[in-house]
Amino acid sequence: MTASGTFSWGFEFAEHFDIEALGAIVTKGVTPRPRAGNPQPRTAETPLGMLNSIGLQNVGIERVIEEFAPRWAAWRVPVIVNLAPDRVEDFGTMARMLDGVPGIAALELNISCPNVDTGGMEIGQDPEAAAAATRAAVRNTDLPVIVKLTPNVTDPVPVAKACEEAGAAAICAINTVLGVAIDIERRRPVIPRGRAGLSGPAIKPIALRFVWDVAQAVRIPVIGCGGIRTGEDAVEFLMAGASAVQVGTATFANPRAPLDVLEGLKRWMESHGVQDVREIIGAALPKGEA
Amino acid sequence: MNVAEAVVLSTEPAYENAFVTWFASEALARRREPGQFVMVHCSSEGCDPFFARPFSYHRVDGDRFALLYTVVGRGTAWLARRQPGDRVRMYGPLGRGIRLPRDRANILLVGGGVGIAPLVDLAETAVSRGHQVVAMMGARTSAALLPPGAWPKEVEYVTVTEDGSAGLRGLVTEHVGAYLDWATKLYACGPAPMFAALADVLRGNSRRMRPEILMEERMPCGWGMCYGCAIFTRRGVKLCCKDGPRFPLFDVF
Repeated sequence: MTASGTFSWGFEFAEHFDIEALGAIVTKGVTPRPRAGNPQPRTAETPLGMLNSIGLQNVGIERVIEEFAPRWAAWRVPVIVNLAPDRVEDFGTMARMLDGVPGIAALELNISCPNVDTGGMEIGQDPEAAAAATRAAVRNTDLPVIVKLTPNVTDPVPVAKACEEAGAAAICAINTVLGVAIDIERRRPVIPRGRAGLSGPAIKPIALRFVWDVAQAVRIPVIGCGGIRTGEDAVEFLMAGASAVQVGTATFANPRAPLDVLEGLKRWMESHGVQDVREIIGAALPKGEA
Repeated sequence: MNVAEAVVLSTEPAYENAFVTWFASEALARRREPGQFVMVHCSSEGCDPFFARPFSYHRVDGDRFALLYTVVGRGTAWLARRQPGDRVRMYGPLGRGIRLPRDRANILLVGGGVGIAPLVDLAETAVSRGHQVVAMMGARTSAALLPPGAWPKEVEYVTVTEDGSAGLRGLVTEHVGAYLDWATKLYACGPAPMFAALADVLRGNSRRMRPEILMEERMPCGWGMCYGCAIFTRRGVKLCCKDGPRFPLFDVF
């Protein structure tokens, strides 16, 4: 599937490529009201990755329901809407608004955005707040609820377990890693807010470690996300315990990246005699833990 | 948008640290509109630098196209070192280009620095459709000017240098006024301060021209996925790569 915030609403990809080849798509983060996002500069290229501080620019949930969902309903590929309100209770309100809307297959709770002043990552750093957000969503919809974790904690297990107990259908790991880049000529941070979210191949080992830890701690499926750009990268995440993977920043550099990962994974499976992807899920985990 | 490998045909110095590289690729050259751009991976393989870089189409000739760029970092330095026959990974054409007026127009092009790059393609297209074209280019000094031979012979080329070493002295926007009675349409490409100055000059009586500009912004993806290249306009937040790079001047400045 595609990672939130790296695929817009899916329409650009659908214009150029076969979107039905993908397992699922995850939309940009949606907020209760439209957001203009952060001022420039919003991005900084870093070794094998990027810092971003987009600031959840989006049209707001009402236009998503009115304008985008009807177009998604014409697709067979499941569309997962990423919810990014700044208050815990709004996860419930937004989940209720999206419940039963044709064209929406699941919800992903963004409790991990580092680029907004309130909510976002704060919720994802606190097991109780994360559980409350999950409960609020689960109680207000029949749609599966995925919770996307932040890596900006020492141990993701308490948050992951709290979300599982609160009714999450799956855990997605990880959102961006906090980072800073300095403009040494101007003696100030490149991104006006200073801190921003690091993504791309640079964070792949960190993402694998979070998948590794969480997959051994929860019974619900884990979706791996962070630095995946090849089929072999996907195999690594599967072997670390992920049941599915998301391709994110790689799509910026290579428009075909989600398809290339899928085709690369199939080629790897064929050349290694793997019939079903389930054969390798958790294959690298300590025995008895997968 | 097509994802393709373009074959390098030649690279020539254009001025100072600027180069023109010609490529062959039917997928990337055909059906582009002047003002559109292409994302170029400035590495042979692998992913360092990770992102492709945006370049305007500078000239197009059938299945061949040229990019004009200044060497400012390791990506453009890598590009300038390519040899004929080398393959370069790219995707494009991208963005909204210029739609020239249907009726014959007197077109004034205003370029600052490397912003001149797409205006040559625009001038060639405009001339081929029977428009009259004056191209004004501003640069710091004579060595940073695009040579007159780069333009079609039908184009009147007016140069402006800050140090007066060639053409008129000063900023290009200080000399635009002399052509405003003649011009019926204006397109510009250059740095933000040039656009701001241009807006000040045109704000009075020249709004009828609906001046349009080609903008640039940090652009990780180039096709509307990352939302990095936001432009804050009077009609809301737009993406330079997808909603632009062509914008009405007065929507932004």
